[in-house]
Amino acid sequence: MDLQGPTKKILRETDVATWQASQAYRDYLKFLRDLNQAVMGKENQSKTTDTPIVHSLISMLNTLDKWIDETPPVQQAQRFGNQAFRTFHGRLTQDASKILQEALPEITSSPSVEELKAYLLDSFGNSTRIDYGTGHEANFIIFLCCLSKLGLITKEDFTPLVTKVFKRYLELCRKLQLTYKMEPAGSHGVWSLDDFQFVPFIWGSAQLVDRPLLDTRSYLDEQTVERLKDDFLFMGCIDFINKVKSGPFSEHSNQLWNISAVPSWSKINLGLFKKYEAEVLQKFPVVQHILFGSLFSFDPVK
Amino acid sequence: MEVMVNDLDRWVEVAKDCKYLPENETMKLIDFCFDILVEEPNVIDVDTPVTICGDIHGQFYDLEELFRTGGSVPATKYIFMGDFVDRGYYSLETLTRLLTLKARYPSRIYLLRGNHESRQITQVYGFYDECLSKYGNANTWKAFCRLFDVMSIAALVDNTVLCVHGGLSPDITTLDQIRTIERNIEIPHKGAFCDLVWSDPDDGVEGWATSPRGAGWLFGQKVLKEFMDINKLDLLARAHQLVQEGIKYVFDDQLVTVWSAPNYCYRCGNVAAILELQNAKQRTAKIFQAVPENQRDIPPRQITPYFL
Repeated sequence: MDLQGPTKKILRETDVATWQASQAYRDYLKFLRDLNQAVMGKENQSKTTDTPIVHSLISMLNTLDKWIDETPPVQQAQRFGNQAFRTFHGRLTQDASKILQEALPEITSSPSVEELKAYLLDSFGNSTRIDYGTGHEANFIIFLCCLSKLGLITKEDFTPLVTKVFKRYLELCRKLQLTYKMEPAGSHGVWSLDDFQFVPFIWGSAQLVDRPLLDTRSYLDEQTVERLKDDFLFMGCIDFINKVKSGPFSEHSNQLWNISAVPSWSKINLGLFKKYEAEVLQKFPVVQHILFGSLFSFDPVK
Repeated sequence: MEVMVNDLDRWVEVAKDCKYLPENETMKLIDFCFDILVEEPNVIDVDTPVTICGDIHGQFYDLEELFRTGGSVPATKYIFMGDFVDRGYYSLETLTRLLTLKARYPSRIYLLRGNHESRQITQVYGFYDECLSKYGNANTWKAFCRLFDVMSIAALVDNTVLCVHGGLSPDITTLDQIRTIERNIEIPHKGAFCDLVWSDPDDGVEGWATSPRGAGWLFGQKVLKEFMDINKLDLLARAHQLVQEGIKYVFDDQLVTVWSAPNYCYRCGNVAAILELQNAKQRTAKIFQAVPENQRDIPPRQITPYFL
């Protein structure tokens, strides 16, 4: 296999079509669907024991969490985008090889390590703009997808990958967003599903499929959300919105308000996949930043 | 074009209730306002008494609270310093409200252009999506953007208070340079016009510094003082930056930021303000808060095609 440093390939609007026809696009969507299937109807607390890779990834995220504590926000006039995030991100950039090596010793000598590092570095926000959005979220999923391509993540890991690793990732990102007052990257405001995330709503809606006691309006009730925020990713996301936003939910989260009128969670799940493809994966402003390499390949589907 | 005074009155009544007009009437309203705005100079001369307002960002109910706080049009004369759209859920209703008032009482309300009155920015921060969602097509958004192009850049109150959305530009030394800008275009990425709607004052800057926004500049007190001296101004009133307390003076009270969108982005918890100028020397800041949830209508839940 010819391994090269990952580079940007989506340079203009017309490249989006090439991206859609690429191996990477297919791998990414398949990974998204496989993980979706793996959590269908399952709560976060489902009794899966931590496989070694799940344990390692969570430890890695815990390390990053500790770094936030060690990098408190600085006093500054600017209201949004605390510059201490740049310090955090600088440490990440400097020590990425080290934490990857600790978490995944088997890849140390692998030529894939540079590519994995690139995706991990782009998973937590942009240090120049001090913002975070669905593009960063996608990078973390690409990182996991590449681990799966390398055989380090197997089918048995899929459920806890969502309910434990991705859940931990979300908690970390929320802490980053709050601590450093990060701006939503390219969010269309009230016309977006959420300021920062998308995928936890997809996988989270899968978790709620066939739960007769939790209909699609259940998340409009704050107490239900509060009670179930740790059990379902969807509820966790709504809980975060309820905590950081005030004013009418129907205004500040109008897309989610509308979705509550959809009659079933399976319809929501399917619809969110379509929406994600159309409004995130096929949007040039988001995907122009994605890097491609040998694992995540821009080559056309074979 | 056939627009009667009773059309104008009817539009004002509709827009008051957080409603937008049907597409054909919105187009008529835009055309009507276009003819008014295109005739206004880059720097509009306004006499006191007048009330100066900052960013609104689609917060319809809070705009009504602003009018309750400052008085209604035409009894009170207003200058709005831009950023009518984006961010909030009711950009279309908010802009319709302001334009119907402009159409009906053109010399009692002045609408300046903010950095959000632009094609590029509205496609990112919500107004484009909103027009698409509420009308099912982008026709009105396109027409609104043509209207944005003819909005004035600044207002000059009693020859002593300059109102502009963002701030100063290194390319602008005199007011006459603002007066000669070719404004009837999309806001450019750099240059004088861009800077006037994008720049911010900054305590830590001596002269000019790069802006973290990626457009416009940060300017310091020295730069402001020079500009004020050259143009014999008392005050630069601008908006553009959230102020938790609604209004904030800096640089020895030569610059004031007025912010009129309470609880900005549904998360900031800030109050809002307007600044009443009784005359050039007498000024009163009035503070107001976001309208509580139980005093707003709830939008209907609509299922988009993805979920059918």
